[in-house]
Amino acid sequence: MNIDIRHLAKLSRLNFSPEEEAKFSGEMEKIVELVEKLPNLDASGPLIDPSNPMTLRPDRVENKPNRNELLQNAPETQAGCIVVPKVVE
Amino acid sequence: MELYQLTAEKLSAMLANKECTSEELTQSVLRRIEAKEPEIKAYLTVCAEEALKKAKEVDQKRAAGEKLHPLAGIPMGIKDNICTRGIKTTCASRILENFVPPYDAFVMEKLHAADAVILGKLNMDEFAMGSSTENSYFQKTRNPWNTEYVPGGSSGGSAASVAAGEAVVSLGSDTGGSIRQPSAYCGIVGLKPTYSSVSRYGLVAYASSLDQIGALGRSVKDVAMVYSAICGRDPHDATSAVREYPDFAAGITGNVKGLRIGIPKEYFGEGVAADVKEAVWKAAKALESAGATLVEVSLPSTDYALSAYYIIASAEASSNLARFDGVKYGYRTQNFSNLTEMYENTRSEGFGAEVKRRIMLGTYVLSSGYYDAYYKKAKFTQLRIQDEFNKAFEACDLLLTPTAPDTAFRIGEQVDDQVKMYMNDILTVTVNIAGLPGLSMPCGFDGKGLPVGCQLIGPKFSEQVLFDVASCWEQQNGGFDLAATLA
Repeated sequence: MNIDIRHLAKLSRLNFSPEEEAKFSGEMEKIVELVEKLPNLDASGPLIDPSNPMTLRPDRVENKPNRNELLQNAPETQAGCIVVPKVVE
Repeated sequence: MELYQLTAEKLSAMLANKECTSEELTQSVLRRIEAKEPEIKAYLTVCAEEALKKAKEVDQKRAAGEKLHPLAGIPMGIKDNICTRGIKTTCASRILENFVPPYDAFVMEKLHAADAVILGKLNMDEFAMGSSTENSYFQKTRNPWNTEYVPGGSSGGSAASVAAGEAVVSLGSDTGGSIRQPSAYCGIVGLKPTYSSVSRYGLVAYASSLDQIGALGRSVKDVAMVYSAICGRDPHDATSAVREYPDFAAGITGNVKGLRIGIPKEYFGEGVAADVKEAVWKAAKALESAGATLVEVSLPSTDYALSAYYIIASAEASSNLARFDGVKYGYRTQNFSNLTEMYENTRSEGFGAEVKRRIMLGTYVLSSGYYDAYYKKAKFTQLRIQDEFNKAFEACDLLLTPTAPDTAFRIGEQVDDQVKMYMNDILTVTVNIAGLPGLSMPCGFDGKGLPVGCQLIGPKFSEQVLFDVASCWEQQNGGFDLAATLA
């Protein structure tokens, strides 16, 4: 089995040192081997769960936590805004 | 007899009869926490001041003659993945080390309305991923029956605190066995309710289609009391069922006459330890002599459940945990020169190894070219497992199985073998996959003196039946003996 750890890490927004990569690669292979054990069944139909209909609530503003309270958890703030690195080059 | 040793049922009556105050009770539990914590390490945060303040408030309400909820004044612990306004909620992860939720989970609103006393937040496997509570970034919780052993997981703090008398009852969450397996390992009662009966609003999401908040306690009635307090419709959780619930604790009869208890042979296979099988059979036989009938049933796809579970849970986790990016809340790395590096380094420094493994597995099974082979096939396997349960419930009213294949293992024994660790969940994941209620009750001990858990599984919304059956066994067998874990 060949799992491209580097590609998966990129998709997952994670990075690994070469040693970690080797360790993860071995572990992932064993885990994938475990989860591959699935029955032969027809998996071509749609996947819906009619026994579990969801009820959506009306789109109404309620119980809004205030801005200061929300910003208290932000890693870096300035003038009531969250500071982030430059997004568009 | 100290107050912390008693059950919520007994304490609720004592409080109502003014035989003790909530302040005295809370003091007693806090003293117990102080004495046992260095050894057990169940709590990540203890809110002694706030707990005492709340206890005094409840005592005043009672003195003023207010009509109070049965849980009013009862001190309880909360798993640290349930958002508590103004109290740190870390999920035992570095990435949420300093996160203070600006809102309460729905279950917390319900508990506050019931005037429960909140003692603090309980240790767990990081993001509820694990079966031993060894995946916590902060500390390893120990099993009160033998501190060389794990308490199980992921709700290890929730189970250990209750078994050590450091909380009267607690809340946990269960995605693949995370309430039932630690309850079994710590010799207490734990309920994973029917999916959709308890709101997940404010529960930090691991696998949203499987996650469910539930209760842990030293008696069946205690668990029923907490479940009654937290279940119910919440418009903030779109999957929450529109339904009325009875008072489960008051409804317990302990009568099993005429009930058909199914014994699925696949749950007693060669992977299950002999001591465990023996103890579980003893419970089954006792229920039979109390008037129930034992019926053999078959759930042939049980062998595939673990695969389906890890695929579905990891797929959802990889998507749910994408929100931890170092932008709006939580840990942010200091080491970056652009946005992508900030994301990658934040997540690589903030998540532990098991969380990374599940994010990677989830990304793998959802990635282009693998989706049909893994994720879609797992979802169809899930439907087949649900069908098999439905068929089994035509022949019986509930199922009785071991909760876990073995009793607790030594700390460190399985940390390097993920596959072995995942096998701990083999008898519990089916319940989450099918959305059913499952209850673990203590049913004896193995040769090492460690508790064995017996699992009861019922059709959706059959919690009352599970409580009745567990209560029948509890009455015959005697309740939890806190004296046994006092040493």
